[in-house]
Parts: sequence; C-alpha cells; structure tokens
Amino acid sequence: MPIEATIIILDNSEFMRNGDYQPSRFHAQSDAVNTVFQSKVDSNPENSVGLMTMAGKGPEVLVTNTKDLGQVLAAIHTASGKIGGNTDIPTAIAVAQLALKHRQNKNLRQRIIAFVGSPMEGPAADERNMIKLAKKLKKNNVAVDIVAFGDGMEEGEQSVLKAFVDNANSNDNSHYVSIPPGPQLLSDVLVSSAVLAGDHGIPEELMGNPEAAAPGAPTGNFEFGVDPSLDPELALALRMSMEEEQARQAAAAATQPPASATEAAPAAAKPDAAYPPDEADDDDEEALLKRALAMSEGDDVDMSGHDGEDDEDEDMSEDEAIAKAIQMSMKENAGEPKEPPKKS
Amino acid sequence: MADDKIESLLAYMENQTTCLNVAGDSPNALKNLPRTKQRVKDSSLPLLSNDDPQLLLNVHFNQAVRLRKLIIHTAEAHISQGPALVKLFVNRPTIDFEEAENEGEPQAVQVIELTQEQVQSGEPISLRFAMQFQKVSTLQIFVQSNFEDGDVTRIDALDLLGTPTLGGGARDLSGLHKEEDS
Repeated sequence: MPIEATIIILDNSEFMRNGDYQPSRFHAQSDAVNTVFQSKVDSNPENSVGLMTMAGKGPEVLVTNTKDLGQVLAAIHTASGKIGGNTDIPTAIAVAQLALKHRQNKNLRQRIIAFVGSPMEGPAADERNMIKLAKKLKKNNVAVDIVAFGDGMEEGEQSVLKAFVDNANSNDNSHYVSIPPGPQLLSDVLVSSAVLAGDHGIPEELMGNPEAAAPGAPTGNFEFGVDPSLDPELALALRMSMEEEQARQAAAAATQPPASATEAAPAAAKPDAAYPPDEADDDDEEALLKRALAMSEGDDVDMSGHDGEDDEDEDMSEDEAIAKAIQMSMKENAGEPKEPPKKS
Repeated sequence: MADDKIESLLAYMENQTTCLNVAGDSPNALKNLPRTKQRVKDSSLPLLSNDDPQLLLNVHFNQAVRLRKLIIHTAEAHISQGPALVKLFVNRPTIDFEEAENEGEPQAVQVIELTQEQVQSGEPISLRFAMQFQKVSTLQIFVQSNFEDGDVTRIDALDLLGTPTLGGGARDLSGLHKEEDS
C-alpha cells in the first residue's frame, strides 16, 4: 500500500447535467469521489486527498490535501452549484501538479485522478500537446488515473486520453478506466477497477478494464469467480470452504451417502468453477444446454463439456456423478453472472 | 581547522534517496548504483535517463554533512552519454525540472561543467567552499545534458566525499570501542 497524496479532478461542465448515469452525471461522479476518498484514506492513514474542479470559470482547487472527509463533502456540495462551462484539461492538470508539489508531507507519492465526462475540445484534443504534458508528469513521477464516462469516452484508436495515460505511465502506476452508462453505479465499477486496486493490495495487473475485457474473462482472473475486492469476505469464505470440502470429499466419497456431499456441493461448486474459468467461454451454450437437460432428467451429466475436470470424470462412481451434477447446476448459476459484461 | 578525514558520504545516505526521469525500474535504481567508484568494464546497473538527457537525483542524508568533493563516473565505452553539465542544489527536496533548469548560481550552489576526462576517470572534483555545502541535509544533483547531447544520460558510479557533522555513526554511539584516531 503506497503512501500517496492524491488530487481528484472533478468534471463540472455542462455535460454533467445529463441523466444517463443515476441520478445525474454529477451525482454519480460525487459518489465516486466519495468512494475514492474513503479508499485512499483507509488504505493508509498518512494518505491525503485534495479536490479540484476543471470547468466553470476555470480550474479551481476546492480543497487542499486533507484526510477529512467532511471538507471534501462540503466542497462537492458547493461545486454542485457551480456546474457549467467547459473543461480545460491541460490547465487543470498543471494546477493539480502544482498543488501536489506543495503538499505538506513531501514523502507522499503524487497521483492525479481525473474524471472526464465531456468531450475533448480545444487544447485538450491536441494529442501532441497532451502527450507532452503526460511525459512531463512521468518525468516528475506523478501517477495519473483517468476515469472516462459519459461524453468523455472516446471511440476506437483515437483515444487521446488513453494515449495520455500510456505516456504518463511508469511501472503500471497510471490507469485508464472507461465506464459506460448502465445499471451499475459509477463508484462500484471504480472500486473493482485498476484505479483503486492498489489500495486493496491487489496487484494491478490482475485488474481488467471492465470495458475491454472479453466475455467471461474479467471474472476468470479471480479465484472462485468472485472479485476479491468487491467482496473479500465471500472470496475468503469460498476458499475456506473449498479446503474443507477437499478434506471432506476424500472421506465422503468412500463411505458416506451422496446427501452429505450434496450439502458441501454448493461450496465446492465455486472452487470447481475456478479450475477452468477461462474455458467457460468455450463451453457456454452447449454446456448450459447439457446441464439443463441433466437437471430436468436427473441423469448423469455428460462431463465432456468441462475439460478441467477430466481427472475426476474417469473415476466417477454413481454417487460422485450425482454430486457432480449438482455442482454443475451450481456452476451454471456461477456462470450466469459472467454474461452481463458481454452486453455492455 | 581540525583535519577531518574526508570519507565517502554514501554511508549516510538514506532510503528516501530518489532520482527522477530514470529509465526502466523505479527511481530507486539508484540504490543499485555501485556505492563507491569502481573500475568496471561493464556496469551491472547504470543509472540511465528516460527520453531526455536530464536527471534529477535527490540524495537524503541521515544527518547534516559537509560536502567537499564529488565523483561522477561513466564507463569508457559509454562516455559520450556521460553527464556534461551538472548543477548542485542543497536542501531543496521539492525542486523540479523547470526550476533546476532555469536557475543558475546563486540559487544553484554550484554549476559544474564536467570534462570527459573527469567523468571517465572518476576523479574527485573539489567543490567550492560554500556555506551551503557545510550543512547539507539533502543534495539535489541535476544533470542537464550529456556529452553527445543525446537523449540518454548514463552514470555508472557516483560518490560524494566529505565529513559528517555529527561524527561517524554507530561507531561513536556504542562507546565500547577504543578511541580510534578518527
């Protein structure tokens, strides 16, 4: 957990009045700021966070680096009354850099988190300019995270913001996260993204960009198909129950009736789902069909659709087969949450 | 004036020492820099600059020291990438590249134009006797350019010579050793 001074740059331009994020872009953004602040300050008591806006009359620092959430909330409240104008990203970043330079505790590393919800115009759209700025940040060892949402999300390869982050990045300290409108909360997506991953102690390489990930792959990186940062207790519980179950099944297979294996199956199901999580992609439709058939008929499930469990298939006794069928049905339930990411 | 033994001050360097604009790994590639000047044919871990020739080295000491001499060494094979123009700042840990570039003396305590011979041989360069050099808590070494005016500056070894103001560290504190002639 690095010790950091962070400056959060809010987008308070006219585009923030849009309602495509609940309840409005600005509110979703404030919520996200709250989450980020809590995450940073909780991860290390020395961390401090400052807040500034970049639209309106011009970039303005609302709160200098502080550990007090109250100040930040009050500042957000006043900012909500000042929505308007257009963003000026290069100036805002320069101001943020200056604010970080004058932080009280010089031992803190520097980070800027910018929320961009309006389209890039003027000097911000000039890619060369932005890249020069990014290199300056990299030279001064300032990490940059950009959270693009609303109109700030850019299509295709032209993404100026992505190039910006890539140029400012040194050792994976800078990230670009793009959050499309949808049922999920801006702050929830942020929590599970690379931006806040470092605070939870999870190596940032494991975090996929929720937008760009292939179907099924985002959760494939996590053990048990559950994001440890979203729900660490669940992940821990699953791991513990898998260990218990492994010990139990060794004894249960030989002597005990399937019923006891059944109880343990829901817990064991998720660990089994972990073995070939990335093969869930291949299996999807067919395997689901097979499972559905098996469930409705109560027959042994044909295991050929699940490559990772070959070892167990050959040696299965009838009891184990039934247990497997139940696990498969559990796996189907675990498999379904992987599908929604495909839709966005 | 007492004839203090001039020694390498790298022994008093703290972990907070960093370097900006370093290529590759984290700024603490500096820690791997050979602690004393060594005649190496091929340095294992040189300090390389990233993208442009400037380097800003921030050396923290665990006590105020008196700085007398500086050694910067680049291996002969890469001598054209060695630092040419070096500015020394004292006790300014938050200085950034723009300031370092724009300031000359007197804000920079000393501006040194190195010659290739000095850097290649790693000879100690005596520093001016300035008041600021008598009370150095942090030293900023700003390398502005290299000999070939290229994009990469390379430093293979670095050493700072002088005397500590509080005495020689653990040796004095223990009190169990015999008085040595230091």
